[in-house]
Amino acid sequence: MAPDGPPSATGRAVSCTDLVKVFDASGDPVQAVGPLDATFAAGHTTALVGPSGCGKSSLLRMIAGLERPSAGTIRIGAETPRDLTRRAALAMAFQDAALLPWRSVRSNVALGLSLARQPPDAARIERLIGLVGLAGFNDRRPAELSGGMRQRAAIARCLVSAPELLLLDEPFGAVDELTRRRLNRDLPALWQGTTAILVTHSVVEAAMLADRVLVLSPRPATIMAEIDIPLPRPRDEDDAALRDRIAAIAAALRDSGPDRVLAAQ
Amino acid sequence: MTAPATRRVARPAVPVVRVGPLAWRVLGVVGLLLAWEALARLNAGSYVLAGPVAVAIHGVEHAGLLGRALRATLVNAAWGFLWGNLAAIGLAAVILLVPRLERLLVALALLVFCLPLVATGPILRVAYGPGDGPQIVLAALAVYYTTLLALLVGLRAVPRSWLDLVESYGRGAGAQLLHVRAMAALPYLAAGLQIAAPAAILGAMVGEFTGAERGLGVLTIRATRALDVDATWTIALLAAGMAMAAYWAFGALLRRVASDPPALLLAPPGPALRRGRRRGAAGAAVMILVALALWQGGMDALGLNSYFAKRPGDVLTFLVTGPEAASHRATLLAAYAETLAYTLPGYLAGLALGAGLACAITLAPGLAAVAMPVAVALRSVPIVTTAPLLVLALGRGSVGTITIVAVMIFFPTLVACLQGLRQAPGDVIDIFASYATGRWRTLVLARVPAMLPAFFAAARMGVPAAILAVTTAEWLATGRGIGSLMALTASTSDYNMLWSAITLVALTAALAHTLVARIERAVLRVYGPEQLAR
Repeated sequence: MAPDGPPSATGRAVSCTDLVKVFDASGDPVQAVGPLDATFAAGHTTALVGPSGCGKSSLLRMIAGLERPSAGTIRIGAETPRDLTRRAALAMAFQDAALLPWRSVRSNVALGLSLARQPPDAARIERLIGLVGLAGFNDRRPAELSGGMRQRAAIARCLVSAPELLLLDEPFGAVDELTRRRLNRDLPALWQGTTAILVTHSVVEAAMLADRVLVLSPRPATIMAEIDIPLPRPRDEDDAALRDRIAAIAAALRDSGPDRVLAAQ
Repeated sequence: MTAPATRRVARPAVPVVRVGPLAWRVLGVVGLLLAWEALARLNAGSYVLAGPVAVAIHGVEHAGLLGRALRATLVNAAWGFLWGNLAAIGLAAVILLVPRLERLLVALALLVFCLPLVATGPILRVAYGPGDGPQIVLAALAVYYTTLLALLVGLRAVPRSWLDLVESYGRGAGAQLLHVRAMAALPYLAAGLQIAAPAAILGAMVGEFTGAERGLGVLTIRATRALDVDATWTIALLAAGMAMAAYWAFGALLRRVASDPPALLLAPPGPALRRGRRRGAAGAAVMILVALALWQGGMDALGLNSYFAKRPGDVLTFLVTGPEAASHRATLLAAYAETLAYTLPGYLAGLALGAGLACAITLAPGLAAVAMPVAVALRSVPIVTTAPLLVLALGRGSVGTITIVAVMIFFPTLVACLQGLRQAPGDVIDIFASYATGRWRTLVLARVPAMLPAFFAAARMGVPAAILAVTTAEWLATGRGIGSLMALTASTSDYNMLWSAITLVALTAALAHTLVARIERAVLRVYGPEQLAR
């Protein structure tokens, strides 16, 4: 690994078997997921694409150990999600960045280490802030940053603890189109080699970031199609081969439920 | 270029006397003082109003005495403030870590908050003797409940993803409290402390009414009894000024902690909405049992003398099973009925006037610029400090008492309703405007529904406030009703009657609070379902 390369290069395969999630908060049970079988290859980035409300976030939250499956199992290597969180070996990025507003960028990134019960490492924190392109903003508060910069800081916080599994829940969903393009181009190199699972409703984003795309059906979520994206990085949105993949994902999505296509875009 | 900016640049050719906002304020204050002095001179000899000159003279002549009294009151208020808020923080932490206890603990906290200070004061006085204990305890009792509610709101006003973040590293509720909730709650704590600061002064003064050796409360009693108008006004203004200063000081702290201070409704409408009526009744029964057990057990544990520290059984004997129970009940209920007759009209009038004026201000926004600062300032003044003035002005009859209750309710309601009216979503207002809807219809259809949560929060917090106001007024001035009965029985050592009165008043307050909460839920289910979601 080059001295300036990505800080983590170990990943684990994730497998879901007969996975079901039923929400029953109001006495009116809603099946959000499954039964669903899926595997996520070690060291690869897999994107989950599906119409709004199809249950893809629930799937991600179960893998993160934030929700318990109603039935079925999730294994990360040989471990359960809870085992992994107990070792603080996974990290999750949220749509709203989830930076604590009273902490500076540096301190927010440092939180990734302290929550993972790892010793503080100023040099490593500095290096990650530099890698996500926030050098010089160490002492700024989140309120002083643009949406894209906040997401960069959140990604740095995820990576600082060298997680074995990276979960991204529409991390660039709330930033503008131009910023989003730039983040899609710059950031994937940072977690190359780590197993990453990305939830998105953007077909383009899935094609830009992932090695493989799983297209989910409307609720309850099941896997409708798998599309490999064997293209080199960094990728270019206007590249013909990528356009071809984007069209394939969009077609699979259209087949998954005609009336959901508008919501999906 | 917009018109006002251009105008300002174009005008200086003509020399104009520029009157800045500061100058206006000074002029306003001077005008107010002049009007006050004139009114005092016109009413000279009626023993109602002391003018600014008389107040100033009295203040200078008795500067030493007033200074010592003020220092005593402030020191006690500060201790009470400290203990009360520490208790609130402790309770909030327990509730957060053991959420199951929330309903029980909040209900008990409310019940204790509803204990009439007028009665607990004398009892504490017996327990403590002549020292500063009662003042400090009463100040603590006056502050802990509002701080607890502010903290409970603040500790939960946290985005879900911040908590998920902590959980995704396998960390639990403790880490969430440490890393996320504690800091996120700081602005709410500061807002709670701001409300608590004047309340602590109020509590300390009520404690001093019960026979302390020094303090502003002692001077108040002395001045009221001697019909010394100058002294009464001077002390009331001094106490009110201190309360306002404390309120503003904590307001400044709040602005440092939070760039955008939270609009604190206090008293979130609570969870437990889907419970059936039967479980609700069971919950209430459990609560009453726990309260009775704490009452009995607490007194036994502290080894309090049963001469003045009556147990639940004593009250039962006195009111129900004892030989003269019927006559005891008659005395108590007569005083109680008298008090209710003052409290209800005052409470309802205060609510109606507060909400009404808030609506009027919204219809004529120019009014807000004038009324709002005054209302915010006066909200911070604990009514007890001004009660003697109102009694002087309105007499010892029913009008005076009802007015004191109404004023006590009016200002918090006004401020809360103005905040609520501003919560109406801008988009909705814009839609109304795009149909050229009149101000009146916009108010009724869009703003008033948005105001309801704030109104009901004020109505609920108004219950203990109204009871405090009416019992204090009856005690200090009118000599009627249950406040007076409590004062009388305290001085004649009729502790059975005193404890009976305390029980009745606390139960009434808790019931009234529950009733308002019921109405609130029924209304909010239609107009503000999001308020009930949490």
